[in-house]
Amino acid sequence: MDFSFTPDQEALRDQILEFATRELTEGAIERDRGGVFPHDLWEKCGEMGLQGLPVPESHGGVGLDSLSTAIALEAFGYGCRDGGLAFAIGAHLLACVIPVWRHGSEELKERYLPGLSNGSLIAVNAITEPDSGSDAFAMKTRAVSVEGGFRIDGTKTFASNGPVADLAVVYAATDPDRGFLGGITAFLVEKGTPGFSVGQKFEKMGLRTAPLSELVFDDVFVPDDSVIGGVGGGGPIFNHSMEWERICLPAIHLGTMRHLLDRAVEQARTRKAFGQSIGKNQAISHRIADLKVRLEAARLLTYRSAERLETAGTVGLDASMTKLLVSESLVRSALDVVQIFGGYGYMDEYEVERILRDSIGSTIYSGTSEMQRNIIAGWLGL
Amino acid sequence: MSEIQSTVKSYVLEEFLPGESPDAMDNSTPLISSGILDSLSTIKLVSFLEEQFNVQFEAHEISRENLDTLDLIAATVESKRHG
Ligand SMILES: Cc1cc2nc3c(=O)[nH]c(=O)nc-3n(C[C@H](O)[C@H](O)[C@H](O)COP(=O)(O)OP(=O)(O)OC[C@H]3O[C@@H](n4cnc5c(N)ncnc54)[C@H](O)[C@@H]3O)c2cc1C
Repeated sequence: MDFSFTPDQEALRDQILEFATRELTEGAIERDRGGVFPHDLWEKCGEMGLQGLPVPESHGGVGLDSLSTAIALEAFGYGCRDGGLAFAIGAHLLACVIPVWRHGSEELKERYLPGLSNGSLIAVNAITEPDSGSDAFAMKTRAVSVEGGFRIDGTKTFASNGPVADLAVVYAATDPDRGFLGGITAFLVEKGTPGFSVGQKFEKMGLRTAPLSELVFDDVFVPDDSVIGGVGGGGPIFNHSMEWERICLPAIHLGTMRHLLDRAVEQARTRKAFGQSIGKNQAISHRIADLKVRLEAARLLTYRSAERLETAGTVGLDASMTKLLVSESLVRSALDVVQIFGGYGYMDEYEVERILRDSIGSTIYSGTSEMQRNIIAGWLGL
Repeated sequence: MSEIQSTVKSYVLEEFLPGESPDAMDNSTPLISSGILDSLSTIKLVSFLEEQFNVQFEAHEISRENLDTLDLIAATVESKRHG
């Protein structure tokens, strides 16, 4: 087992970190207060290729392997102070670009992958519905086969990037009785398609710069060639995109956890109480030691899973373990760092309370912690 | 029973029906439509088939038509091996 990075991986990490610390650190407090999506920064990230890291160069991406993608995403999460932007890019790349790249027809790939990879297109993944979240395949949205295509009817909710997206990856039941196996189909629907609209926009606890909304499909006609990966293939396609999301969104979180550790160490060394640095108290220093242990353990599991994404037959178990460990570690660490900062930690100008608010969603989106434990138990034959 | 059917039968019994008598399952016992295999176990089965028999499944091929019984599984694997 070799734990060292190649020179190329080191150069990639340094380049992305330099970009993120130069371009993605300013203005997050104000954008968070106003719930403003940074279109300009999205485009800059596109110029760096972040939205298409693993996509082959022939389709407009950077052509990284899955482990290098995770390394790049950790550097991005470390340098980028806008958690909403980082999440929006992660959701776009992992739940939208991946299914088009891995399951789309050559025609779909040629039409969309360059724009999806270079930041000129924004995509949204729409599976959750008002009455089905964890039980996603109990969806009510239907796609009925008609001459030349399908007609989609239904409402999706909690769609990240929904209000700003140019393109939606939408899952609909084409054979409701079959559910996950053979009953669900993935479609690509362009903004502006008659009958397709953005519904309610949500105000939320964190990730406020990543806009989220309902998406409404009112008798929307989509041609046959908008199907991703074959009629009835939606269940496994969604699963596959979740494997990427449950491994590579945590890679972004590793960067956030590393930033939290830096901030905690700095604060513990410089903040004085009772005539000494607060870090001289074991109540503080032990908390910080735990931040470090959590980060290193989370990184090992994430990198191993990221490597297995392209080398192992299936990574469902790895993905759920990674998602569970990293998201729960992130929330725990963010809460600890707010406590270490005391009253300052609670004030938005110190920028740790925002990380806490941004982190809480991580144990809910891409499948809740409870669902990850269910999946892990399932792999253990329980 | 062919080699594919018996290999898959042993796997399904051990993995998803622990303690069940081998007699309870024949080549036409429904696996998916009966609920023996749910979505997660079907994905596990597919990854077992891919590894064991060196074949690849496309997303839309992971279906009841192709995998509901040992006979269907064997036919699908055979056609992939020779197709
Ligand atoms: C910030 C954010 C971004 C999101 N982005 C997207 C997106 O881009 N696209 C999209 O489609 N969706 C998105 N979602 C939706 C997300 O995937 C769902 O919220 C999530 O899967 C949970 O579904 P639910 O909210 O319906 O909760 P429910 O499924 O109703 O669950 C409620 C509670 O019950 C528990 N529970 C349910 N079933 C079980 C069980 N069998 N065993 C144990 N516990 C169980 C859950 O863990 C949870 O604690 C997003 C959500 C958030 C918060």
